[in-house]
Amino acid sequence: MSKLGNRADWADDEEFDDPSALPAQQVIANKDGTKTVISYRFNDDNKKVKVTRRIKTTVVREHVNPSVAERRKWEKFGNEKGHAAGPSFDTTSVGENIVFRPSVNWKAQAKEAEKDGGEKGSMKDQLKDKKVKCRICSGEHFTARCPFKDTMAPVEEGTAGAGAADVEEDKGGLGASGSSYVPPHMRKGGAGGGEKMGGRFEKDDLATLRVTNVSELAEEQELRDLFERFGRVTRVFLARDRETQRAKGFAFISYADRGDAALACEKVDGFGYRHLILRVEFAKRST
Amino acid sequence: MRPILLSGHERSLTQIKFNSDGDLLFSVSKDKIVCAWWSANGERLGTYNGHQGAVWTVDVSPNTTLLATGSADNTVRLWNVKSGECVKVWDFPTAVKRVQFSPDGSRLLAVTEKRMGFLGTIAVLDINYGENFNDQADEPSLRITCTESKATVAGWSFLSKYIIAGHEDGSVSQYDPKTGDQIENIQAHEFDHQINDLQFSPDRTSFITASKDKSAKLMSSRNLAILKTYTSDTPLNTASVTPKKEYVILGGGQAAMDVTTTSARQGKFEARFYHKIFEDEIGRVRGHFGPLNTIDVHPAGTAYASGGEDGYVRVHHFDKSYFDFMYEVEREQMRK
Repeated sequence: MSKLGNRADWADDEEFDDPSALPAQQVIANKDGTKTVISYRFNDDNKKVKVTRRIKTTVVREHVNPSVAERRKWEKFGNEKGHAAGPSFDTTSVGENIVFRPSVNWKAQAKEAEKDGGEKGSMKDQLKDKKVKCRICSGEHFTARCPFKDTMAPVEEGTAGAGAADVEEDKGGLGASGSSYVPPHMRKGGAGGGEKMGGRFEKDDLATLRVTNVSELAEEQELRDLFERFGRVTRVFLARDRETQRAKGFAFISYADRGDAALACEKVDGFGYRHLILRVEFAKRST
Repeated sequence: MRPILLSGHERSLTQIKFNSDGDLLFSVSKDKIVCAWWSANGERLGTYNGHQGAVWTVDVSPNTTLLATGSADNTVRLWNVKSGECVKVWDFPTAVKRVQFSPDGSRLLAVTEKRMGFLGTIAVLDINYGENFNDQADEPSLRITCTESKATVAGWSFLSKYIIAGHEDGSVSQYDPKTGDQIENIQAHEFDHQINDLQFSPDRTSFITASKDKSAKLMSSRNLAILKTYTSDTPLNTASVTPKKEYVILGGGQAAMDVTTTSARQGKFEARFYHKIFEDEIGRVRGHFGPLNTIDVHPAGTAYASGGEDGYVRVHHFDKSYFDFMYEVEREQMRK
């Protein structure tokens, strides 16, 4: 604060001396005729806030009654006494723009506008035209609801699915043509079937992350929130201790898309979460 | 249009008023303060401090030198508009619910409440614009006592020829301001539905009433004939006739006691615009989150302001679409 001796020392810089002082207001004239006003003030939390305003000044000439012109010169009084000219922030503000178009049938128009606004918001309407397709039988239901869920594996590709079905019919069960029982894994398509069982997991595994060093206090929902920002998460599994119900320290996160999983793996690996540093890697096949 | 929000009051607004040139806007609320605002930019010119109770009503003299306010502290105060000083206090036995200057500004009427054994009255005070504003008569020059139903609102007709009052029972009456005799009384609104507001058209040959019975009526000052009826779906607190365009603006909403149990969407806290001649509703302006207590229109018809139970005054300057709107028949008339 003191400016003794007129020292040109950086330590005398006022900004350092008085942290409560606000930098002076800056006014910059722009090329297009507007002004940029940069001012500083303290907000409610006593933090310094920089306010940048771009002001375009247009001069509007108006012819008024002499008494009106005379009144414009009046001083402020009462609670406003001594305040600077111009509207003050605590009493005057500008509201949102209101579209007001008088019309004879405004009621119908208002209703229509409301309907338009409503449609955008609802997910249900957005997905109205989308069809649900089962991955097992290609029927119009969710895969989880498929009646063949237990008997058939998901259709990998069109050809594989059809082939498997054919084979199973041929060599199925106790073997219509063959003399002896052939265990499923020895059947011609059986190997595929077995693989497909694995394949079912493999497909998921491709997009499943194994997360270790998870805090004991972790919650599935928190993990879901954490990982959902990278893509659609289909499954979150958090291993818990059976007795204490506390997390065991690892979790699996399955993504719908492998690309999202790879991104999440890259980003969240080494991420600090609940005082521990997460380790994220692609889950290995549980063979 | 972008409304200007004036938040100088801490409690609900009771009345707002533009001056005759429309450059100033005066607002009063239940928080005892009277505010003066520049209508163009919403800057507060000042406040008139001194009332000890809720201020119910305000009016400004035609030459914008004196301001009258009536309050629940049983006084009418006269203020110097420019300096904010109180120049005169008239004491009444009960609260004052409405004041209005006569068209020439020489007289002021004050409607007093019926309470504590006192009947509701309309008092007429003579106003003196001399060198010294303090020099005012102490006693009213005329007192009209409402024996049947108390007056809630009142105003001066064209050339101060009649005093027109709206009553608690929904009737409208016409008085002679010289003798104080009642000339006519008409049950304009449904019985026992109070008239909450009465505002004159610019030439004061007709006036509009807003009532609790959810309707507003345009009536003739001369013979109290009902010219037009505007029906809405909510109790009305205020109504105003717009100059320049042939519209009326109505404001209302759920009663204050029911507000917390209804959402803002259902609350009907909107200013409703009706065509004055065709009686059709032509649009609404929303924004307040409480019922509208008072509306006033700029004398030039270029803006209107509304004050709500929410403590805000919103000043709306109309944009082009407001002035462009015309019925097909009006347009045809224009072409001829």
